[in-house]
Amino acid sequence: MAASRLKDFVKNGRKIYGAALNYKDPSGDTSKQIQEPVLFFKAPSDYITEGTPIEIPVGFTLVEELELGVIIGKTCKKVTESEALDYVGGYCIGLDMTAVNEMVKARSNNWPWTRCKSFDTSCPVSVFIPKEEIPDPNNVELWCTINGRLQQVGNTKDLVFSAAQLISFISQTHTLEPNDLILTGTPPTPGIVHSGDVIEGGIKEGITIKFIVN
Amino acid sequence: MTSLQLQNFVKHGKKIMAATTNYRSLLQVLNVPWPEKPTIFLKPTTSYITEGQAIEIPKGFSVNQEIELGVVIEKRCKDIDEREAMEHVGGYCVALDMTATCQMKEARSKGLPWLIGKGFDTACPVSRFISKDEIPDPNNLELWCCVNGKLEEEGNTKDFIFTIPYLISYISHFITLEPYDVLLTGTPGMSAVKPGDEITVFVL
Repeated sequence: MAASRLKDFVKNGRKIYGAALNYKDPSGDTSKQIQEPVLFFKAPSDYITEGTPIEIPVGFTLVEELELGVIIGKTCKKVTESEALDYVGGYCIGLDMTAVNEMVKARSNNWPWTRCKSFDTSCPVSVFIPKEEIPDPNNVELWCTINGRLQQVGNTKDLVFSAAQLISFISQTHTLEPNDLILTGTPPTPGIVHSGDVIEGGIKEGITIKFIVN
Repeated sequence: MTSLQLQNFVKHGKKIMAATTNYRSLLQVLNVPWPEKPTIFLKPTTSYITEGQAIEIPKGFSVNQEIELGVVIEKRCKDIDEREAMEHVGGYCVALDMTATCQMKEARSKGLPWLIGKGFDTACPVSRFISKDEIPDPNNLELWCCVNGKLEEEGNTKDFIFTIPYLISYISHFITLEPYDVLLTGTPGMSAVKPGDEITVFVL
Protein backbone atom coordinates (compact mmCIF):
# COMPACT_ATOMS: atom_id res chain seq x y z
CA MET A 1 0.00 0.00 0.00
CA ALA A 2 1.30 3.45 -0.89
CA ALA A 3 2.58 5.57 1.98
CA SER A 4 0.02 8.20 1.02
CA ARG A 5 -2.78 5.81 2.00
CA LEU A 6 -0.99 4.46 5.07
CA LYS A 7 -1.07 7.94 6.58
CA ASP A 8 -4.71 7.10 7.38
CA PHE A 9 -3.71 4.05 9.42
CA VAL A 10 -5.71 5.31 12.41
CA LYS A 11 -8.92 5.58 10.38
CA ASN A 12 -8.46 2.38 8.40
CA GLY A 13 -6.57 0.07 10.76
CA ARG A 14 -8.32 -3.03 12.06
CA LYS A 15 -5.66 -4.42 14.38
CA ILE A 16 -3.24 -3.13 16.97
CA TYR A 17 -0.69 -5.50 18.51
CA GLY A 18 1.37 -4.67 21.57
CA ALA A 19 4.58 -6.42 22.64
CA ALA A 20 5.02 -6.68 26.40
CA LEU A 21 8.21 -7.03 28.42
CA ASN A 22 10.22 -6.44 25.26
CA TYR A 23 13.18 -4.35 26.44
CA LYS A 24 16.26 -5.97 27.93
CA ASP A 25 17.03 -5.31 31.56
CA PRO A 26 19.56 -2.45 31.63
CA SER A 27 21.56 -4.29 34.29
CA GLY A 28 22.23 -7.11 31.83
CA ASP A 29 20.28 -9.62 33.94
CA THR A 30 18.55 -12.02 31.57
CA SER A 31 17.08 -14.36 34.18
CA LYS A 32 13.58 -12.90 33.77
CA GLN A 33 13.80 -12.21 30.03
CA ILE A 34 10.91 -13.55 27.96
CA GLN A 35 11.71 -16.54 25.75
CA GLU A 36 9.17 -15.70 23.08
CA PRO A 37 7.13 -12.59 22.29
CA VAL A 38 4.30 -11.75 24.69
CA LEU A 39 1.60 -10.11 22.57
CA PHE A 40 -1.73 -8.51 23.34
CA PHE A 41 -4.40 -6.64 21.41
CA LYS A 42 -5.61 -3.10 21.65
CA ALA A 43 -8.83 -2.22 19.79
CA PRO A 44 -8.80 0.30 16.90
CA SER A 45 -11.35 2.37 18.83
CA ASP A 46 -8.54 3.00 21.38
CA TYR A 47 -6.76 5.32 18.92
CA ILE A 48 -6.47 9.06 19.52
CA THR A 49 -4.33 11.62 17.70
CA GLU A 50 -2.77 14.84 18.92
CA GLY A 51 -5.30 17.39 20.08
CA THR A 52 -7.49 14.77 21.76
CA PRO A 53 -6.84 14.21 25.46
CA ILE A 54 -6.23 10.91 27.21
CA GLU A 55 -9.13 9.98 29.49
CA ILE A 56 -8.53 7.96 32.65
CA PRO A 57 -11.46 5.52 33.11
CA VAL A 58 -13.06 5.66 36.57
CA GLY A 59 -11.09 3.53 38.99
CA PHE A 60 -8.10 2.98 36.66
CA THR A 61 -4.49 3.88 37.48
CA LEU A 62 -2.67 4.52 34.21
CA VAL A 63 0.95 4.45 33.15
CA GLU A 64 2.22 5.84 29.89
CA GLU A 65 4.40 3.53 27.80
CA LEU A 66 6.16 5.26 24.94
CA GLU A 67 6.83 2.92 22.01
CA LEU A 68 8.02 2.74 18.41
CA GLY A 69 5.11 1.52 16.31
CA VAL A 70 5.55 -0.41 13.08
CA ILE A 71 2.82 -0.03 10.45
CA ILE A 72 2.32 -2.87 8.01
CA GLY A 73 2.28 -1.88 4.34
CA LYS A 74 1.68 -5.23 2.61
CA THR A 75 -0.37 -8.29 3.57
CA CYS A 76 1.88 -10.93 5.05
CA LYS A 77 1.51 -14.44 6.37
CA LYS A 78 4.23 -16.82 7.55
CA VAL A 79 7.07 -14.48 6.64
CA THR A 80 10.67 -15.05 7.67
CA GLU A 81 12.65 -12.59 9.77
CA SER A 82 14.88 -11.75 6.83
CA GLU A 83 11.96 -10.64 4.66
CA ALA A 84 9.77 -9.17 7.43
CA LEU A 85 10.83 -5.53 7.05
CA ASP A 86 9.86 -5.67 3.35
CA TYR A 87 6.26 -5.71 4.58
CA VAL A 88 6.63 -2.57 6.69
CA GLY A 89 5.01 0.53 5.25
CA GLY A 90 6.11 3.02 7.88
CA TYR A 91 6.18 3.84 11.56
CA CYS A 92 4.66 5.94 14.30
CA ILE A 93 5.30 6.87 17.89
CA GLY A 94 2.63 5.62 20.26
CA LEU A 95 1.72 5.52 23.93
CA ASP A 96 0.51 2.11 25.10
CA MET A 97 -1.60 3.49 27.96
CA THR A 98 -1.94 0.70 30.50
CA ALA A 99 -4.16 0.30 33.57
CA VAL A 100 -1.66 -1.10 36.05
CA ASN A 101 -4.20 -1.84 38.79
CA GLU A 102 -6.30 -3.82 36.30
CA MET A 103 -3.12 -5.59 35.11
CA VAL A 104 -2.39 -6.82 38.64
CA LYS A 105 -5.93 -8.27 38.83
CA ALA A 106 -5.71 -9.81 35.35
CA ARG A 107 -2.38 -11.52 35.96
CA SER A 108 -3.31 -12.84 39.38
CA ASN A 109 -6.69 -14.16 38.18
CA ASN A 110 -5.41 -15.44 34.79
CA TRP A 111 -7.81 -13.15 32.99
CA PRO A 112 -7.12 -11.74 29.55
CA TRP A 113 -5.32 -8.40 29.36
CA THR A 114 -8.10 -6.65 27.46
CA ARG A 115 -9.39 -4.45 30.26
CA CYS A 116 -5.88 -3.26 31.21
CA LYS A 117 -4.66 -2.55 27.71
CA SER A 118 -7.70 -1.71 25.62
CA PHE A 119 -9.98 1.17 26.55
CA ASP A 120 -10.99 4.43 24.89
CA THR A 121 -7.97 6.76 24.37
CA SER A 122 -5.48 4.04 25.38
CA CYS A 123 -3.58 4.29 22.08
CA PRO A 124 -2.43 7.87 21.41
CA VAL A 125 -0.29 7.96 18.26
CA SER A 126 1.75 10.37 16.18
CA VAL A 127 1.28 11.01 12.51
CA PHE A 128 2.46 8.38 10.06
CA ILE A 129 6.25 8.30 9.66
CA PRO A 130 7.32 7.19 6.15
CA LYS A 131 9.63 4.18 6.05
CA GLU A 132 12.53 6.13 4.57
CA GLU A 133 12.60 8.45 7.59
CA ILE A 134 13.62 5.51 9.81
CA PRO A 135 16.15 3.59 7.71
CA ASP A 136 17.14 1.41 10.66
CA PRO A 137 14.32 0.54 13.08
CA ASN A 138 16.87 -1.35 15.20
CA ASN A 139 18.63 1.85 16.30
CA VAL A 140 15.98 4.40 17.24
CA GLU A 141 16.47 6.54 20.34
CA LEU A 142 13.24 7.16 22.22
CA TRP A 143 12.43 9.51 25.08
CA CYS A 144 9.40 10.49 27.13
CA THR A 145 8.71 13.21 29.69
CA ILE A 146 5.80 13.78 32.05
CA ASN A 147 5.31 17.47 32.86
CA GLY A 148 8.76 18.17 31.47
CA ARG A 149 10.51 15.64 33.72
CA LEU A 150 12.37 12.83 31.93
CA GLN A 151 10.58 9.54 32.55
CA GLN A 152 11.76 7.15 29.85
CA VAL A 153 14.86 6.79 27.71
CA GLY A 154 15.73 3.91 25.47
CA ASN A 155 16.93 2.60 22.14
CA THR A 156 15.29 -0.06 20.01
CA LYS A 157 18.63 -1.87 19.80
CA ASP A 158 17.72 -3.05 23.31
CA LEU A 159 14.53 -4.79 22.20
CA VAL A 160 14.42 -8.46 23.19
CA PHE A 161 12.58 -9.21 19.93
CA SER A 162 13.20 -6.85 17.03
CA ALA A 163 10.50 -5.47 14.76
CA ALA A 164 11.39 -8.10 12.15
CA GLN A 165 11.18 -10.89 14.72
CA LEU A 166 7.80 -9.65 15.96
CA ILE A 167 6.38 -9.45 12.43
CA SER A 168 7.62 -12.92 11.58
CA PHE A 169 6.32 -14.40 14.85
CA ILE A 170 2.86 -12.86 14.60
CA SER A 171 2.52 -13.72 10.91
CA GLN A 172 2.97 -17.45 11.58
CA THR A 173 -0.61 -17.65 12.88
CA HIS A 174 -2.12 -14.22 12.12
CA THR A 175 -2.34 -12.61 8.70
CA LEU A 176 -0.99 -9.07 9.01
CA GLU A 177 -2.70 -6.49 6.79
CA PRO A 178 -1.93 -2.97 5.60
CA ASN A 179 -2.60 -0.41 8.36
CA ASP A 180 -2.03 -2.97 11.13
CA LEU A 181 0.07 -1.49 13.92
CA ILE A 182 2.59 -3.34 16.07
CA LEU A 183 3.74 -1.45 19.17
CA THR A 184 7.19 -2.85 19.83
CA GLY A 185 7.50 -2.41 23.59
CA THR A 186 8.47 0.32 26.03
CA PRO A 187 11.90 1.18 27.47
CA PRO A 188 12.52 1.91 31.14
CA THR A 189 10.62 3.20 32.97
CA PRO A 190 6.92 3.98 32.41
CA GLY A 191 5.39 6.47 34.84
CA ILE A 192 1.95 6.83 36.41
CA VAL A 193 -0.05 9.73 34.98
CA HIS A 194 -2.65 11.91 36.64
CA SER A 195 -5.32 14.25 35.52
CA GLY A 196 -3.74 17.42 34.12
CA ASP A 197 -0.39 15.81 33.25
CA VAL A 198 1.31 16.56 29.94
CA ILE A 199 3.06 13.63 28.26
CA GLU A 200 5.64 14.39 25.59
CA GLY A 201 7.92 12.02 23.79
CA GLY A 202 9.32 10.79 20.55
CA ILE A 203 12.45 10.03 18.62
CA LYS A 204 15.64 11.90 19.55
CA GLU A 205 16.04 14.73 17.02
CA GLY A 206 12.98 13.38 15.24
CA ILE A 207 9.22 13.31 15.49
CA THR A 208 7.60 14.19 18.81
CA ILE A 209 4.14 13.80 20.31
CA LYS A 210 2.32 15.67 23.06
CA PHE A 211 -0.79 14.50 24.83
CA ILE A 212 -2.66 15.93 27.78
CA VAL A 213 -4.33 13.74 30.38
CA ASN A 214 -7.83 14.92 31.17
CA MET B 1 -27.73 1.88 9.00
CA THR B 2 -29.91 -0.73 7.31
CA SER B 3 -29.78 -4.49 7.74
CA LEU B 4 -28.44 -4.61 4.20
CA GLN B 5 -25.27 -2.80 5.21
CA LEU B 6 -24.90 -4.79 8.44
CA GLN B 7 -24.82 -7.96 6.33
CA ASN B 8 -21.25 -6.96 5.58
CA PHE B 9 -20.19 -6.93 9.23
CA VAL B 10 -17.30 -9.32 8.48
CA LYS B 11 -15.85 -7.03 5.81
CA HIS B 12 -16.34 -3.76 7.70
CA GLY B 13 -16.03 -4.74 11.36
CA LYS B 14 -13.06 -3.51 13.36
CA LYS B 15 -13.62 -5.32 16.63
CA ILE B 16 -14.71 -8.70 17.90
CA MET B 17 -15.25 -8.66 21.65
CA ALA B 18 -16.02 -11.88 23.48
CA ALA B 19 -17.32 -12.76 26.93
CA THR B 20 -15.90 -15.78 28.66
CA THR B 21 -17.62 -18.07 31.19
CA ASN B 22 -21.10 -16.69 30.68
CA TYR B 23 -23.37 -19.74 31.05
CA ARG B 24 -24.46 -20.97 34.49
CA SER B 25 -24.13 -24.59 33.41
CA LEU B 26 -20.49 -24.00 32.48
CA LEU B 27 -19.65 -22.78 35.98
CA GLN B 28 -20.49 -26.21 37.31
CA VAL B 29 -18.56 -28.02 34.58
CA LEU B 30 -15.46 -25.88 35.06
CA ASN B 31 -15.94 -25.74 38.85
CA VAL B 32 -15.34 -22.00 38.96
CA PRO B 33 -17.03 -19.41 41.17
CA TRP B 34 -19.81 -17.10 40.03
CA PRO B 35 -18.06 -14.13 38.36
CA GLU B 36 -18.66 -10.67 39.80
CA LYS B 37 -18.11 -8.96 36.47
CA PRO B 38 -17.84 -10.13 32.86
CA THR B 39 -14.42 -11.16 31.56
CA ILE B 40 -13.94 -9.75 28.07
CA PHE B 41 -11.28 -10.48 25.45
CA LEU B 42 -10.60 -9.43 21.85
CA LYS B 43 -10.37 -11.58 18.74
CA PRO B 44 -8.85 -9.98 15.61
CA THR B 45 -10.95 -9.41 12.52
CA THR B 46 -8.50 -11.54 10.54
CA SER B 47 -9.86 -14.52 12.45
CA TYR B 48 -13.21 -14.23 10.64
CA ILE B 49 -14.21 -16.87 8.12
CA THR B 50 -17.60 -17.48 6.57
CA GLU B 51 -19.32 -20.65 5.40
CA GLY B 52 -17.47 -22.31 2.57
CA GLN B 53 -14.08 -21.49 4.09
CA ALA B 54 -12.29 -24.10 6.19
CA ILE B 55 -11.04 -23.76 9.74
CA GLU B 56 -7.24 -24.16 9.72
CA ILE B 57 -5.63 -25.62 12.81
CA PRO B 58 -2.15 -24.06 13.18
CA LYS B 59 0.71 -26.54 13.33
CA GLY B 60 1.11 -27.94 16.82
CA PHE B 61 -2.18 -26.51 18.12
CA SER B 62 -5.04 -28.50 19.70
CA VAL B 63 -8.27 -26.67 19.11
CA ASN B 64 -11.75 -26.64 20.68
CA GLN B 65 -14.91 -25.34 19.10
CA GLU B 66 -17.16 -23.13 21.25
CA ILE B 67 -20.58 -22.23 19.84
CA GLU B 68 -21.74 -18.70 20.69
CA LEU B 69 -24.49 -16.24 19.87
CA GLY B 70 -22.95 -13.12 18.37
CA VAL B 71 -24.50 -9.67 18.62
CA VAL B 72 -23.87 -7.22 15.77
CA ILE B 73 -23.77 -3.58 16.85
CA GLU B 74 -25.61 -1.08 14.66
CA LYS B 75 -25.37 2.19 16.54
CA ARG B 76 -22.28 3.59 18.23
CA CYS B 77 -22.53 3.32 21.99
CA LYS B 78 -20.52 4.69 24.87
CA ASP B 79 -21.41 4.82 28.57
CA ILE B 80 -24.92 3.54 27.91
CA ASP B 81 -27.43 2.16 30.36
CA GLU B 82 -28.66 -1.45 30.13
CA ARG B 83 -32.19 -0.23 29.38
CA GLU B 84 -31.07 1.40 26.13
CA ALA B 85 -28.60 -1.29 25.08
CA MET B 86 -30.82 -3.24 22.69
CA GLU B 87 -31.54 -0.07 20.67
CA HIS B 88 -27.89 -0.24 19.58
CA VAL B 89 -28.11 -3.84 18.36
CA GLY B 90 -28.59 -4.31 14.62
CA GLY B 91 -28.78 -8.07 14.48
CA TYR B 92 -27.01 -11.30 15.29
CA CYS B 93 -24.83 -14.11 14.02
CA VAL B 94 -23.86 -17.53 15.21
CA ALA B 95 -20.17 -18.01 15.76
CA LEU B 96 -17.56 -20.52 16.82
CA ASP B 97 -14.97 -19.13 19.20
CA MET B 98 -12.22 -21.52 18.10
CA THR B 99 -9.74 -21.84 20.96
CA ALA B 100 -6.24 -23.29 21.05
CA THR B 101 -6.26 -25.21 24.32
CA CYS B 102 -2.54 -25.72 24.95
CA GLN B 103 -1.80 -22.06 24.28
CA MET B 104 -4.67 -21.03 26.57
CA LYS B 105 -3.48 -23.35 29.34
CA GLU B 106 0.01 -21.83 29.11
CA ALA B 107 -1.34 -18.26 28.99
CA ARG B 108 -3.65 -18.79 31.94
CA SER B 109 -0.98 -20.51 34.04
CA LYS B 110 1.43 -17.59 33.58
CA GLY B 111 -1.03 -14.69 33.58
CA LEU B 112 -0.22 -13.91 29.94
CA PRO B 113 -2.49 -12.50 27.22
CA TRP B 114 -4.90 -14.73 25.34
CA LEU B 115 -3.94 -13.47 21.88
CA ILE B 116 -2.27 -16.64 20.59
CA GLY B 117 -4.92 -19.00 22.01
CA LYS B 118 -7.91 -17.05 20.73
CA GLY B 119 -6.72 -14.99 17.74
CA PHE B 120 -5.26 -17.25 15.04
CA ASP B 121 -6.48 -17.04 11.44
CA THR B 122 -9.88 -18.78 11.02
CA ALA B 123 -10.52 -18.75 14.80
CA CYS B 124 -13.87 -16.96 14.33
CA PRO B 125 -16.16 -18.75 11.85
CA VAL B 126 -19.47 -16.90 11.63
CA SER B 127 -22.86 -17.42 10.04
CA ARG B 128 -24.55 -14.94 7.78
CA PHE B 129 -26.03 -11.85 9.38
CA ILE B 130 -29.27 -12.67 11.20
CA SER B 131 -31.79 -9.84 11.46
CA LYS B 132 -33.47 -8.80 14.72
CA ASP B 133 -36.80 -9.98 13.24
CA GLU B 134 -35.40 -13.51 12.90
CA ILE B 135 -34.44 -13.59 16.60
CA PRO B 136 -37.16 -11.64 18.41
CA ASP B 137 -36.03 -12.89 21.82
CA PRO B 138 -32.24 -13.38 22.12
CA ASN B 139 -32.70 -14.22 25.82
CA ASN B 140 -34.40 -17.55 25.05
CA LEU B 141 -32.50 -19.02 22.13
CA GLU B 142 -31.54 -22.67 21.83
CA LEU B 143 -28.04 -23.38 20.50
CA TRP B 144 -26.82 -26.80 19.35
CA CYS B 145 -23.45 -27.82 18.03
CA CYS B 146 -22.74 -31.12 16.28
CA VAL B 147 -19.36 -32.47 15.23
CA ASN B 148 -19.55 -35.10 12.48
CA GLY B 149 -23.26 -35.39 13.11
CA LYS B 150 -22.92 -36.08 16.84
CA LEU B 151 -24.40 -33.60 19.29
CA GLU B 152 -21.53 -32.14 21.31
CA GLU B 153 -23.13 -29.24 23.10
CA GLU B 154 -26.43 -27.58 23.60
CA GLY B 155 -27.54 -24.63 25.58
CA ASN B 156 -30.07 -21.85 25.89
CA THR B 157 -29.28 -18.18 26.25
CA LYS B 158 -31.69 -17.96 29.17
CA ASP B 159 -28.76 -19.60 31.00
CA PHE B 160 -26.65 -16.44 30.59
CA ILE B 161 -24.94 -15.14 33.71
CA PHE B 162 -24.67 -11.67 32.16
CA THR B 163 -27.41 -10.70 29.71
CA ILE B 164 -26.78 -9.04 26.37
CA PRO B 165 -27.90 -5.59 27.61
CA TYR B 166 -25.65 -5.93 30.66
CA LEU B 167 -22.64 -6.94 28.55
CA ILE B 168 -23.16 -4.07 26.09
CA SER B 169 -23.58 -1.54 28.88
CA TYR B 170 -20.56 -2.89 30.81
CA ILE B 171 -18.24 -2.85 27.80
CA SER B 172 -19.45 0.58 26.64
CA HIS B 173 -18.22 2.08 29.92
CA PHE B 174 -14.61 1.42 28.95
CA ILE B 175 -14.66 0.82 25.19
CA THR B 176 -16.85 2.54 22.60
CA LEU B 177 -18.78 -0.02 20.57
CA GLU B 178 -19.12 0.90 16.90
CA PRO B 179 -21.30 -0.21 13.98
CA TYR B 180 -20.24 -3.64 12.70
CA ASP B 181 -18.58 -4.57 16.01
CA VAL B 182 -19.50 -8.09 17.10
CA LEU B 183 -19.94 -9.23 20.69
CA LEU B 184 -19.67 -12.98 21.26
CA THR B 185 -21.76 -13.81 24.31
CA GLY B 186 -20.09 -16.93 25.70
CA THR B 187 -20.45 -20.67 25.15
CA PRO B 188 -22.49 -23.35 26.93
CA GLY B 189 -19.74 -25.89 26.32
CA MET B 190 -16.85 -26.94 24.11
CA SER B 191 -15.28 -29.95 22.48
CA ALA B 192 -12.08 -30.76 20.65
CA VAL B 193 -11.98 -30.86 16.87
CA LYS B 194 -9.41 -32.31 14.49
CA PRO B 195 -8.69 -32.09 10.75
CA GLY B 196 -11.47 -33.59 8.69
CA ASP B 197 -14.19 -32.86 11.25
CA GLU B 198 -17.40 -31.16 10.17
CA ILE B 199 -19.01 -28.74 12.62
CA THR B 200 -22.70 -27.91 12.27
CA VAL B 201 -24.54 -25.44 14.44
CA PHE B 202 -28.27 -24.84 14.92
CA VAL B 203 -30.19 -22.09 16.62
CA LEU B 204 -33.89 -21.95 17.39
